[in-house]
Amino acid sequence: MAENRMIEVDRVSRVYLRDQFEVHALHEVSLQIPAGTFAAIMGPSGSGKTTLLNLIAGIDQPSNGRVAVGGDEIGGLTENELAEWRSRHIGLVFQFYNLIPVLTAFENVELPLLLTHLSKAERREHAEIALRLVGLADRLDHYPRQLSGGQEQRVAIARAIVTDPTIIVADEPTGDLDARSAEEILNLLVELSRRFHKTIVMVTHDHRAERYVDLIYRLDKGVLIGSEPGGLAADGKAAVEPRAS
Amino acid sequence: MMKYAFLVAKNLMRSKRRTLLTISSIAVSIFVFAALSSVPAVARQILGDTASSLRIACHNKAGLAYPIPEAYRSKIVATPHVVAVVAESWFGGIYHDVNDQFPNLAVDPEQVQAMWPDWGISDEAYSQFTKIRTAALVGPETMKRFRLHVGQQVTLRGTYYPFNVTLNIVGVMGGKSPPNFLLFRRDYLSEAAHDQGTVDNMWVRVDQSSSVPEVIASLDEQFANSPAETQSESEGAFLGNFMNNYKIFFQIAQGLGLIVIFTIGLVAANTAAMSIRERRAEIVVMRAIGFTSRTILALLLAESMLIALLGGIIGCGTAYALFKIFSFNANVLGPFGTLALPTSVAIEALGAAATIGFLSAFVPARSAAQRNIVEGLRAVV
Repeated sequence: MAENRMIEVDRVSRVYLRDQFEVHALHEVSLQIPAGTFAAIMGPSGSGKTTLLNLIAGIDQPSNGRVAVGGDEIGGLTENELAEWRSRHIGLVFQFYNLIPVLTAFENVELPLLLTHLSKAERREHAEIALRLVGLADRLDHYPRQLSGGQEQRVAIARAIVTDPTIIVADEPTGDLDARSAEEILNLLVELSRRFHKTIVMVTHDHRAERYVDLIYRLDKGVLIGSEPGGLAADGKAAVEPRAS
Repeated sequence: MMKYAFLVAKNLMRSKRRTLLTISSIAVSIFVFAALSSVPAVARQILGDTASSLRIACHNKAGLAYPIPEAYRSKIVATPHVVAVVAESWFGGIYHDVNDQFPNLAVDPEQVQAMWPDWGISDEAYSQFTKIRTAALVGPETMKRFRLHVGQQVTLRGTYYPFNVTLNIVGVMGGKSPPNFLLFRRDYLSEAAHDQGTVDNMWVRVDQSSSVPEVIASLDEQFANSPAETQSESEGAFLGNFMNNYKIFFQIAQGLGLIVIFTIGLVAANTAAMSIRERRAEIVVMRAIGFTSRTILALLLAESMLIALLGGIIGCGTAYALFKIFSFNANVLGPFGTLALPTSVAIEALGAAATIGFLSAFVPARSAAQRNIVEGLRAVV
C-alpha cells in the first residue's frame, strides 16, 4: 500500500506567531491519501483545514513533521524550488475562483502553462482541452465578468488541471456557489478523480460534499479527530484506507 | 520572456485612462526636461566643437560693446602665422516684427570662405557675395523660419543703427553645424552708417592650432598702451565667455528639469503603488500557482518601465519635433548655434524615464511579490 500513497502527512504541526501570541493551527496530524482518491477535509471554522491544505499544496511549511507528495519531500525546499514544484505538481482551486479579471477564460487557463517549456501552439492546445473538459469550449474568449459563478469555478478548475498536476487541492470550491452549481462542480471533480485518476484534496464545510468523496478527514482545533469513507467509497467505487492519527 | 508580454500588455490596458494619464504626465515632464536640458547641452556641444578651432576673436579689452579701429586689420594680417582676417560688426536688425529677431552681422567679404570653411558656403554663392554690395548669406534655420529663398530681397530694420538695410539673399550656409545668422557686407553697413573706421571685432585665422597662443599674445602686445587695447582669445574661450552671460539661465534650466523629473517620479510612484495594491490578490494567486516572486517583480517592473519609456519617447519626440518645426530657438543661443535636441540629452531623458519607471514601482512591486502567500490567500480566498 505504501507505494500507492500519493500524500503523506506525518506528525505535522503548524504554529503561527500572531503579534506576540503563538497560535497552534495544527497539532501532530498524520494521514495518508492514496493516489486517485478524492478526499475531503472537514471541520468547523478555525479547525486547521486550510492550514493542512496549504501544507499539502506546498504553499506553507510545517513547524514540525514532514509532508511528502508523490514521493517528494517538500519540507526542505526553498521558496523558489517550492514555486517551481507547485507549478508542476499542484492544481489549485479557490473558493472565490480568483481568476485574473483582465484575462479571458482561455488566457486564465493558459497562465500556469507559461511556467512550462511548451510552445505557444502547445499551450493553446492544452488550454483548449482543459476548457473542453470542464464544458466551456464555447467560452474561450469570455472574460470572468461575462461568466456565471459556476462557470468561473469551472475555468478555475480548468486552470488547475491544465498542467496535468499530481494532485488538485480545492479550498471550499463550492462555498460561493448556489446548490445547483455546487453540485455541478462536485460532479466535475468526481469525474476528474474517476476518469483521469486525479488525486483531489478538498476542504469544505458543505455536508452535501460527503456523498461525492472517497474519504473524509475530520479536524477540530488543529487535531485530526477521525476519518471515514465518503459516499463514493460506500458505493464501492473507491478503495481507500482511512487512518486516524 | 516574450511569452509574458501579453500579461504586461493586458495589465497596461486594465485601466486605460490611468495608463494614458501616467504616460502623458511622464511625457510632459520628459519634454520639459529635454527642452530645458537641450539649451546648456547645445552650448557645451558648441564649445566642444570649437575647442580645436584655428580662429581667434580679437576685440576691445574694455568689452564687446566697445569698437576697435579698422586700421588694426593691416597690422593683424602682418602678424606671423595669421592666414586670414575678417572684420565684423553687429547690426542687430529685425525682420518685420520686433519678435523676428535673429543674429545679423556685417563682415568684410574677401576672406569669409577662408575664415569659415566649415560653413559650407558654395563657390557660386561666395562669388555673388564678393561681387554684390547688398548680398547676404543666410543660415538654413533662419531661411526656414522666415520662409526665405535665394534671390529674395529682404529689409532688416535697424535697432542699434538708425536705418534699415535692404539685402539680396545670394546663398544659404550649410556644413555640419551651420550658423543661424545672416551675413552681409560691412562696406554696405559702413557707408550707410557713415562709419568712422571702427569695427566690433576681428576674426583671425592662424595656420595651425599650436600657433593660437602665440598669435593671441602677439596681437594683444601690439595694441597694448593704445587708445583701444585688445583682448584676443581663442574661439572656444570667446564663445565660453559669451555664454557665461547665460550661465545662471542654464543652471536654472537644469535645476527646473531635475525638479520636474523628481516631482513626476513621486506621482508615478503613487500611481504604481495604487495599481499594484489593487492587484495584490491576483499577485498572490499567481505566486500560489507557481510564479516565483522574481518573475512577478520582473512583470510589474516591466509594466512600469514600459509606461515610463513610452512617456519618455513621446516627450523626447515632442521636443525634437517642436525644435524642428517651429525653430523658436533662433535667439536662445545668440549667433552661436541653433537649438536642437542633442543625442546625449535624448539618452539622458530616456534614462530618466526608465529610472522613474523602475524606482516608482520597485518598492510596492517587491513588497507585493514577496508577500507571504498564506497571509495573502487568507485575505482573498
